[in-house]
Amino acid sequence: MTTLDQPALGEPGGYAPEPDLGTPPVASQADATVTIDGRQVTVPAGTSVMRAAAVAGIDVPKLCATDSLKAFGSCRMCLVEVDGARGTPASCTTPCADGMVVSTQTEQVQRLRRNVMELYLSDHPADCQGCARGSCEMQAMAVTVGAVEARYGNGRDHLAESSYDASNPYFDYDPAACIVCSRCVRACGEVQGTFALTVEGRGFDSRITPGGTDFLSSECVSCGACVQACPTSALQEKSLIELGMPTRVVDTTCAYCGVGCSFRAEVQGTGEDTQVVRMMPAKTGGANEGHSCVKGRFAYGYTNHPDRQLHPMVRDSIDDEWRVVSWEEAVAKAADGFSAIQRDHGVGAIGGISSSRCTNEEVYVVQKMVRAAFGNNNVDTCARVCHSPTGYGLNQTFGTSAGTQDFKSVEQADVVLLIGANPTDAHPVFASRLKRRLRQGAQIVVADPRRIDLVHGPHVEAAAHLPVLPGSNVAFVNAMAHTVVTEGLHDEAFLRERCENVDSYLAFIARPENSPEATEEVTGIPAEQLRAAARLYAEAPNAAIYYGLGVTEHSQGSTMVMGMANLAMITGNIGREGVGVNPLRGQNNVQGSCDMGSFPHELPGYRHISRPEVRAIYEDLWGRTLDPEPGLRIPNMFDSALAGTFRGLYVQGEDIAQSDPNTQHVEAALRSMDLVVVQDLFLNETARFAHVFLPGTSFLEKDGTFTNAERRINRVRPALPPRQGKDEWQITCDIAAAMGFPMPYAGAHEIMDEIAATTPTFAGVSFARLDAEGSMQWPVTDAAPHGTPTMHVGEFVRGKGNLVETVYVPTTERTNRRFPLVLTTGRILSQYNVGAQTRRTANQTWHPEDILEIHPADAHVRGISTGDLVELSSRVGSTTLRAEVSERMPAGVVYTTFHHPVTGANVVTTENSDWATNCPEYKVTAVEVGVANARGLTDAEAAARDEREPAGRS
Amino acid sequence: MTTVYVPGDASAVAMGADEVAAAFRARAEVTVVRTGSRGMLWAEPLVEVATPGGRVGYANVAPGEVGAVLDGSLDADGERALGVVADHPWLAGQHRVTAARVGVVDPGSVTDYEAHGGWVGLRRALGMAPADVVAEVTESGLRGRGGAGFPAGVKWKTVLETAADQKFVACNFDEGDSGTFADRMVVEGDPFTLVEGMTIAGYAVGATEGYVYVRSEYPHAIAALRRAIEAAYTHGFLGDDVCGSGHRFDLHVRVGAGAYICGEESSMLESLEGKRGEVRAKPPIPAISGLFGLPTAVNNVLTLCTVPMILADGGAAYADLGVGRSRGTQLFQLAGNIARGGLVELPFGVTLRELVEGYGGGTLSGRPVRAIQVGGPLGAYLSPAQLDLPMDYEAFAEAGAMVGHGGVVVFDDTVDMARMARFAMEFCSLESCGKCTPCRIGSVRGVETLDRIIAGDDVPANLVLLDELCETMTKGSLCAMGGLTPMPVQSAIRHFPEDFDRTPTPEGAAR
Amino acid sequence: MGNDIARQLAHLDEEEAVTRIVAHLDRFWDPRMRRTLQALAAAGDDTLDPRLAAAARRL
Repeated sequence: MTTLDQPALGEPGGYAPEPDLGTPPVASQADATVTIDGRQVTVPAGTSVMRAAAVAGIDVPKLCATDSLKAFGSCRMCLVEVDGARGTPASCTTPCADGMVVSTQTEQVQRLRRNVMELYLSDHPADCQGCARGSCEMQAMAVTVGAVEARYGNGRDHLAESSYDASNPYFDYDPAACIVCSRCVRACGEVQGTFALTVEGRGFDSRITPGGTDFLSSECVSCGACVQACPTSALQEKSLIELGMPTRVVDTTCAYCGVGCSFRAEVQGTGEDTQVVRMMPAKTGGANEGHSCVKGRFAYGYTNHPDRQLHPMVRDSIDDEWRVVSWEEAVAKAADGFSAIQRDHGVGAIGGISSSRCTNEEVYVVQKMVRAAFGNNNVDTCARVCHSPTGYGLNQTFGTSAGTQDFKSVEQADVVLLIGANPTDAHPVFASRLKRRLRQGAQIVVADPRRIDLVHGPHVEAAAHLPVLPGSNVAFVNAMAHTVVTEGLHDEAFLRERCENVDSYLAFIARPENSPEATEEVTGIPAEQLRAAARLYAEAPNAAIYYGLGVTEHSQGSTMVMGMANLAMITGNIGREGVGVNPLRGQNNVQGSCDMGSFPHELPGYRHISRPEVRAIYEDLWGRTLDPEPGLRIPNMFDSALAGTFRGLYVQGEDIAQSDPNTQHVEAALRSMDLVVVQDLFLNETARFAHVFLPGTSFLEKDGTFTNAERRINRVRPALPPRQGKDEWQITCDIAAAMGFPMPYAGAHEIMDEIAATTPTFAGVSFARLDAEGSMQWPVTDAAPHGTPTMHVGEFVRGKGNLVETVYVPTTERTNRRFPLVLTTGRILSQYNVGAQTRRTANQTWHPEDILEIHPADAHVRGISTGDLVELSSRVGSTTLRAEVSERMPAGVVYTTFHHPVTGANVVTTENSDWATNCPEYKVTAVEVGVANARGLTDAEAAARDEREPAGRS
Repeated sequence: MTTVYVPGDASAVAMGADEVAAAFRARAEVTVVRTGSRGMLWAEPLVEVATPGGRVGYANVAPGEVGAVLDGSLDADGERALGVVADHPWLAGQHRVTAARVGVVDPGSVTDYEAHGGWVGLRRALGMAPADVVAEVTESGLRGRGGAGFPAGVKWKTVLETAADQKFVACNFDEGDSGTFADRMVVEGDPFTLVEGMTIAGYAVGATEGYVYVRSEYPHAIAALRRAIEAAYTHGFLGDDVCGSGHRFDLHVRVGAGAYICGEESSMLESLEGKRGEVRAKPPIPAISGLFGLPTAVNNVLTLCTVPMILADGGAAYADLGVGRSRGTQLFQLAGNIARGGLVELPFGVTLRELVEGYGGGTLSGRPVRAIQVGGPLGAYLSPAQLDLPMDYEAFAEAGAMVGHGGVVVFDDTVDMARMARFAMEFCSLESCGKCTPCRIGSVRGVETLDRIIAGDDVPANLVLLDELCETMTKGSLCAMGGLTPMPVQSAIRHFPEDFDRTPTPEGAAR
Repeated sequence: MGNDIARQLAHLDEEEAVTRIVAHLDRFWDPRMRRTLQALAAAGDDTLDPRLAAAARRL
């Protein structure tokens, strides 16, 4: 564990790669005690001799082995001798048996290793750049095995015939340095599950190739697993080639999606001169276990983008130019302005919005400032527009607003029901885990209007694809439950022991209107197909539900979440590994921002503001009386602003002017305010309406924690000092202090200490414990001192599981003659969200614009061909983008991503929202599509739109 | 009506058997039956005519000679008139078990197969407990005929005792060794034996599915096998209810794509799974984790084709044949520079001399025998001084050689053994899968080092280097391909050192 | 927004629905929004779902 102040910066030995035990761990009931070079070591039976040796502190030379991949046995550097066994077996492929006696350093194996290394070096560049740099293991391994001769003279080599491939924006492939160990090929298959790489030719002519083309043109998804696996410099990060080897490591957490991968930020230099050499996924990371995707691994360049704002700025009117000022002046202007508004218009006239991209500590202090310094509960978070129905629905049914499992749980699932999520694009590292399980034989049912990659792909074939029509989720899930119950596939014992409202729910769901036959027309799913899927789910030993925004961003999003919870409960698929109801969270800290009391009705830990005993905890600590009534939600803030009762807003890291529906309404509300304070990396769209701009920090500069979709609290550690000179939590505290409510913390760890002291589910959490244990999944309590990977074991958090009658109430958004198609939205792998970060990186290479996918039949009648510019219009607005005719879409449904501001997906989405939480109905919009006028956008128009900074919805 | 038997075996066809058969068919009074080959390849096309005294044979028949064959006048007193073929000394001296029906039966006829003792073993097996079938095979002493010589019963026992929902039988019919052809001849001449053997294997180990992995270079065998499988399904010997036993067994043919390494069992399994033919590290062994990771009995064609006879006649009868731990018979294939090449099935223990000088009749060139390579391209070169070695796995191993798949390739005294050593390395470099380093790079360096030796370039130092390379390949390679390549190289150096004692030549200097 | 809640609970009988709407508004709505709703109900705004209006009167 290294942090900024711990290692001897830049000293030799400050950098070391993560330890590599050579082969993966083995789970076994039995142990084997073996003697290796005289040392006894006990390991699970079946563990490789190589790994056992490593555990015993003995490094056996190796090149083709790495502990993220199954043993391969090709390099023959790890040969050992085993007493009583013939020959010189490879230690990587030889399992330990009890009583085995192994010698790793006999004269014979040392000679063999030297001679194998001599063969390797006879085909390795004498001037290997990687060897010189230290990023190629060949040189080091040659030193390890002792004096290697070079007796073969000028024989054949593959060096001259190899062509350097620099096509990928993040890494190079230099076949000359390649030793054909296949680690990259295996990583692409076993770890990532893409199978983009292969070995071409045979014997000496064996070459690694991304399918006979260059990397960029190949099926490679640029996850970086191959680069990480490569023992030589054949596959190498461009950044490392440019900067050289890192000198130290900072363990931290990715700030993209809700998977929350652990990374080692490998850096050079100190202080303000610190440079990130590369981001390496950490094998110790509970969420990712050493894997990564193109975003977390490579797309961190936005932190140094020229658009990044590094100075506080103020202006008196939004028509004025920005003026760079000191932190003191900017904070004073914000604090004085807020105080003045409250003096003139009442305590409730101001509020704050926090961001799911910020740390728990940064988010916690925002709600603390609002509740204590502002004296009201007008605090909300961007989770409002993504997973608020998850919080509501799972709280109602199970008693806690979070997913039930850890990601690893999927390795025990036999059937996975995936609803409204596209993990291979939006949650790629979880998708790799899922695909690995599917390759082992688990089955998947995909319920999604679009034929996503998990329906059919290399080594993946869904048992069923149910193309549920947008807006009909509740009818679909009810039909699933109806089938289970009426066919007698439900778990009666589980229901009677663990749940309540059982009889009324069973009676409700058995009603004929919930049958697959009755709902077929609404859902678009043939009844027999749905019944088969329901049987598959119900009859699996372990069946798990995973879902995304395709569930929540509907007018019945909360109902659907409860419907899925019902389905899990009636089949007893709750409370153990391999089952559960699991949201795939959009942003890195959606879970955390909700946990931290960011909603207007809840204090941290999902405790309602009306509960006096909970308020008392904070009132005693903070010395302020808290308002017992819920405050304003984001849309209510806008309404109240237009009504003149809400006049000042502090916005942390969320671009509400872009992310929230009904743009005109939002802009008018912002314009009507007296003071808008924006804290962000970039001058975003909301900043156009701001009076104070406070520059924020990127995740590489933050000290704190993120909580991912599996409730895992991960440390975020600063690889670099804050580029604008101040921690983000400190900015918030400064404003509060300037308003007369000091929030003094010596560091982010003290904020977590306060969270832990006041929130029962976080009771055992501290930076010190996280540093020691790596990560913990809340609840972390006396009863579960190391956290809770699986929830609701034995008993639901609320006691009995609550079966809720989930009546299907259709959305009011309907297609008609003018708008006959339904638009639904999603994500693509290389871009994240509205692209504020990824568009400022080379990820642009893969997805330079948003594309509208349209079914061939719908395209044909409109005269649309792939590549045409089309106009997409709804009853609230229209936009122009390029079309792709695709059979991924069912007829009647069109699809686009929302990564590019020029597309402006929210220009067409409506203000409909979830009935319980106001989460916008982004997934269902009645639209029409037509060929745009031939000229398309002019350059000027395009440039003008590109200047607009998009914002986040998660 | 006269019945004439004309081999349809690829070796006979290569010598014009199809044209001969056509010429017979043109005669109204003749019924032509296409059989396999008797294995007397030196006599092909060998035509047999049914007579009351037995099937009378004529060697090397041309299409224009069919009349002479039919009236018995062809070379009446000469060597081409073979008399009753079964009584011909070249055949009569053999002990045919595995190849008993080859060249005799019509390979397309399920009834002819049955008439010659077919399905007896299967029917008996189905009446026994699977473990008893395995025990019978164990008792027979049958060892893997692919070359490794692993006891078949032991392998089957492992598969039987490994619990799994699905198990497989996989037949290795990727007969890639130079100078070998026994698998091909047996399947072309008697394909039902393989079907029966695999079905018995499936029943014995608990497998319901079998795969035959056959090299694409064997189109005749593929056709014969597919015909036989179809007929077996039609007649209830394959499918959901084998012989009414309730046991299911399905059999599939998969054709390889020309890689020698796919004859290595783990590469074959990879290829069967649709992957690149690349060797797997062991453990786990295929009997526990084979095709698609499930327990799989992988056996050679000859092993499986011997099983029906063992079940029909009992394991003890088979075990009575042979010597030492090498029980039963082996199908020796005489090839190379040999006067009378072909298939000779004899119990283990026969000497190399009896095969080369007796059955083979010495070299075709008439020059003295100088070297014999036994066991395929990875087998050792033996010198004439070793001709009295008995064909026996253990005796050969002791002599630094191997029986392998039973190929015997003869060279006369014009052979340059340094070039043969080079050929072994070159073969390895061409056929290596490329997975492990000693084989992938070592074989190329071996060729280069031998080139320097042949050119007389610093021979002593290069021989030392070659010796170390051979050690690295033998002890360091992942599979037998790289591990055995040094065997022909080092045996050549050992037995024919004079061929490696070179001085610089202009030819070598140019290389 | 309130109408959406009423629509979701339309399957319940009147009393149950009104009780649950009241509970939801109490739990999640800012007081000034509740006051606005009450004012609309008092003014007899006919765009309000009748059950929502009943709930507003009971707040």
